[in-house]
Amino acid sequence: MKASLNWVKKYVDIENLTPEEIASRMTFAGVEVEDIIHLARGTNLVIGEILTCENHPDSDHLHILNVDEGPKHGVHQIVCGAPNARKGLKVIVAREGAVLPEVTIVKSTIRGVDSDGMCCSLLELGVDKKYLSEKQVSGIEELPEDAPVGEENVLGYLGLDDTILDLSLLANRPDMYAIANIAREIGCLYGKEAKIPEPTKRETKKIDFEVGSTTEKCPQFAIQVVKGIKTKESPKWMKEALLAEGIRSINNIVDIGNYIMLLTGQPLNMYDLDKLPKASLVVRDDLEGDYVAMDEQTYKLAKGDLVVTSDGRPMCLAGVMTAKECTIDENTVNVAVESAVFDYARIRHTVNRIGLSSDSSLRFIKGINRDQAEYVLALTADLLADLAEAKEIYEVKNYDTVKHERKVIKTSLGYINGRLGTSFDLETVVKTLKDDHMDVVVEGETMIVTVPNYRIDMDGQADIAEEVIRILGYSNVHSILPTTELQLTGLTPKQVAKRSIRRHLRSIGLDEVLTYTLVDEKKANSFKYLEKGEPFKLSNPMTVERGFVRMSMLPSLLESASYNVDRQNKDLAFFEISDIDTPSHRGSHLGAVLVGNKPLQGSLRKTPYTFYDAKGIVEAIMQILGLNKNRYQIVAWTLGGEDFHPGKSAEIRMGKQLLGVMGELHPNALKAAGLKSAIALELDMDALLNLKTSAPKASVPPKFPSVSRDLALVIDRKVTYEEIAREVNKADALIKGVEVFDVYEGANIGEGKKSIAITLTIRSDEKTLKEEEVSSSVNKAISTLKVKFGADIRS
Amino acid sequence: MSQITEKVAALEEEATSRIQAASKKEELNELFAKYLSKKGEVSSLMSLMREVPNEEKASFGQAVNACKNNVTKAYNEKKEAFEKEELAAKLANEKIDVTLPGNTLQQGHINPYYLIIDEVTDIFLDMGYEVVEGRDVETDRFNFELLNVPKDHPSRDMQDTFYISEELLLRTQTSAAQAHTMCDKNPKGPIKMICPGKAYRRDDDDMTHSHQFAQIEGLVIDKNISIANLKATLELFAKKMFGEKREIRLRSSYFPFTEPSVEVDVSCFNCGGKGCAMCKGTGWIEILGAGMVNPKVLEMCGYDPNEYSGFAFGVGVERVAMLRYGVDDIRRFYQNDVRFLKDYVGK
Repeated sequence: MKASLNWVKKYVDIENLTPEEIASRMTFAGVEVEDIIHLARGTNLVIGEILTCENHPDSDHLHILNVDEGPKHGVHQIVCGAPNARKGLKVIVAREGAVLPEVTIVKSTIRGVDSDGMCCSLLELGVDKKYLSEKQVSGIEELPEDAPVGEENVLGYLGLDDTILDLSLLANRPDMYAIANIAREIGCLYGKEAKIPEPTKRETKKIDFEVGSTTEKCPQFAIQVVKGIKTKESPKWMKEALLAEGIRSINNIVDIGNYIMLLTGQPLNMYDLDKLPKASLVVRDDLEGDYVAMDEQTYKLAKGDLVVTSDGRPMCLAGVMTAKECTIDENTVNVAVESAVFDYARIRHTVNRIGLSSDSSLRFIKGINRDQAEYVLALTADLLADLAEAKEIYEVKNYDTVKHERKVIKTSLGYINGRLGTSFDLETVVKTLKDDHMDVVVEGETMIVTVPNYRIDMDGQADIAEEVIRILGYSNVHSILPTTELQLTGLTPKQVAKRSIRRHLRSIGLDEVLTYTLVDEKKANSFKYLEKGEPFKLSNPMTVERGFVRMSMLPSLLESASYNVDRQNKDLAFFEISDIDTPSHRGSHLGAVLVGNKPLQGSLRKTPYTFYDAKGIVEAIMQILGLNKNRYQIVAWTLGGEDFHPGKSAEIRMGKQLLGVMGELHPNALKAAGLKSAIALELDMDALLNLKTSAPKASVPPKFPSVSRDLALVIDRKVTYEEIAREVNKADALIKGVEVFDVYEGANIGEGKKSIAITLTIRSDEKTLKEEEVSSSVNKAISTLKVKFGADIRS
Repeated sequence: MSQITEKVAALEEEATSRIQAASKKEELNELFAKYLSKKGEVSSLMSLMREVPNEEKASFGQAVNACKNNVTKAYNEKKEAFEKEELAAKLANEKIDVTLPGNTLQQGHINPYYLIIDEVTDIFLDMGYEVVEGRDVETDRFNFELLNVPKDHPSRDMQDTFYISEELLLRTQTSAAQAHTMCDKNPKGPIKMICPGKAYRRDDDDMTHSHQFAQIEGLVIDKNISIANLKATLELFAKKMFGEKREIRLRSSYFPFTEPSVEVDVSCFNCGGKGCAMCKGTGWIEILGAGMVNPKVLEMCGYDPNEYSGFAFGVGVERVAMLRYGVDDIRRFYQNDVRFLKDYVGK
């Protein structure tokens, strides 16, 4: 909403206030002024007349002018480049020292000729190009012949001395879509009375005209018939008022409609009475079919759309646009003026469906004052009489089911100060509310507040408290920390674990990143191992790339990896913990991707990321969570799919429960992600955090020394280290541990074979072992390996 | 002094000066052989004892011993000097290039988004708040209706929502967590919580808009809570977050779920309030929205508004990060370009 201060000034005294002061005061009181716009700017201006106009001897386009600037300033020579400069023209002169939006005028010499001042175009005075004609833009402004030479208040003469406050309105103040209410608001903030125009009391004639509504979505529908009007140009004051509001003047009738809407916030509609099929206008919401509006477009009416009908035919899509067949034009002499109340939600649905909106529909959607139809129509009638020579003004025909009662809210000084944390006295609060156009009656402890009809946002005592503080200012609020009962708070154990994991992963060199939740359909359906079923699908996505809620962290992490690789950032280690929502499960995942090389010594030594980096990360996380290796299993890939390399991936399990997946990406998945290589892992954080853990039980270091023995064996390459370790551990009670220290595969070992070297730890809890006891243990291990796996022992 | 004693002195003089003058270790070794080895000239002096008259034998013996000691000492000193030189040369030769990269043991980096979330979280944890986890997919009821935004309410135009179905949507504000916390509280009693989380709106992604963003919601419910409590809490927060000297100011605003509602500005932490490019010359920076919980919201969530009141606030995470670190484009948080991330290390 744009508020012309010249217009506001008509109703409230703001002479001693700068626009900046008003803007700041309004903003702090909750009506934000986003911008202050000066229609035009310039000092040291005067109206002049060109007495002589000669060509500059040294230029093909410059003129040398002698300009009469009136008796006070005399005649000055000005060099001017405008093509339309000519003898006898009345012009705007910016005199020496004039400050215009872009330049300051100084005396100068232009190609050897002295120039004292400048003839201006409106563009040079800062008027927005959109209000100017081609001619006005390309030359100096041509003032009317009767323009008073010597007049110094040039902007006032032009009606361009206005300042506009551009309001950014929030949903609670639809009343601010009316200049009258803006004047009341400013009056309230400065404790000044706002004098809003009152209509003339007049005798009206009876008329036979049917009005009505068949739907509760239109609780009020009022029509006033005015006959014998004359269409012509609007007067200067009205054109200026509309221009300041950014509305183009059309003719007096259309302009009156817009002017009243801007003043009161009530959208008006005017029907050409003689084009109506019947002396009847009835609102219905059950029409369907084609509707030709005044813009000559055909729209489809749907059940539920509010339509003003005459004799069953649509005359207006209520609150949105009049039908072509009854639109007023320059030949209109008799009009029916409508002031109605339409349901905001209903209008919103219609506007959204057909994609048409207007200043009228905007006001209906935000919510209008339901209590001013008679007032608005009477003001309109006055203007039609004054500006359009209306001959006959008829009675208002009013279908009205609105309860015209002003809202009454009971509150108390104690409540207001209690909610605000202030210590205002009764007198201050009552005066503030009265300035705010409320009626206040104090009965003992109770304050009975009656709200003005245009404040449709007010409905409880919290609103009254807000009015008091927004007007008096938040600097009156004390600063007191809340005192609540002591409670055991802080992070929960799960939140602590998440933080520890995040910190650890960063400390081992992974970057903690942030990715989008929304992905495309294909990505939403990839890496679906930890979550089952279909992803959530948006019904109104912005783009196909962001139409689904992810079920895995990995597609979005790979997206970030690929973004980096495309920019030559080739070595990446990313992780993220995030909520994952699916129709069947709400959880939280940890995802990580490793791309390229792991730096060992900066750029000097690197080693490609492998499966074992992912496994190390998983083991570290398990350790932080207090999950010993016997609580979970890392097993070879069985899940299929084309996301992970089937031979270089693993599942993290607790029996049947899948806790996570990790491994090298499948070549097809790499291709889809636009990467050459990548290791990925994803854990079901919720499942992991829900596992019970207990405090560690202290271990007692063994009393007797242990002995180490190394074994090198050649074995079928399919036998896993874990299988070997398990069997060796079982081979003899004295064997307390197995560690691998070398694995080798190669031609000299033999097809399908590998060499694996292990260290056995042999120990007794009862005594120091003798050599033959140690050898016996080792021999048991060797024979087990031979029997179970056909191993060939090399040492 | 007898002739023979003079000979000893001469030999001592010759041997020490030659040893001291030796320039190489090999030369020193040769001189050792010449003078100090078993058959060397100094070692051989004792054999002259036979030629010395008896009364001089004692003094001759002393002179020979002194000669031997002095020459040996000179030799040892010289040898030590050579060894020292040799070691120094050897060590100098072993010099490494200390300017090569260190072994990579540094931390990974952190998206500054988490720095802000963690820092704000810690401040409120210290004030005794609990941290509530939110959810991305919400119901219309918790995202709107319980927050006093009924269907068709004009303020629904304020947010363009991603819908999944009529009832399900991506939450447009972390305020949905307010409603959950209040509804879940049983029996109804005091609440002090924050909820950091993601929110989504149908905005085109550009320098200042993102369809995904994060907020940190805060909620305090108790008996007799007033704006004074909100103001003091946010003052404390602003000082912790932006510096001891920061002040805040409250401007009237509107949110459907709070009444009264305010926008909160903090005095500019770049210029200290004098006015600069960051605060657009005003000296103040808008950092959050807040207000007293609307009595209707309390009531819908099961609290008696005559008994309880409360305040709520919401901080925009990316906005604070952009201001604090001078990030030019909100999309940077979601691109994770490592050249952007490299400046941020977690705590």
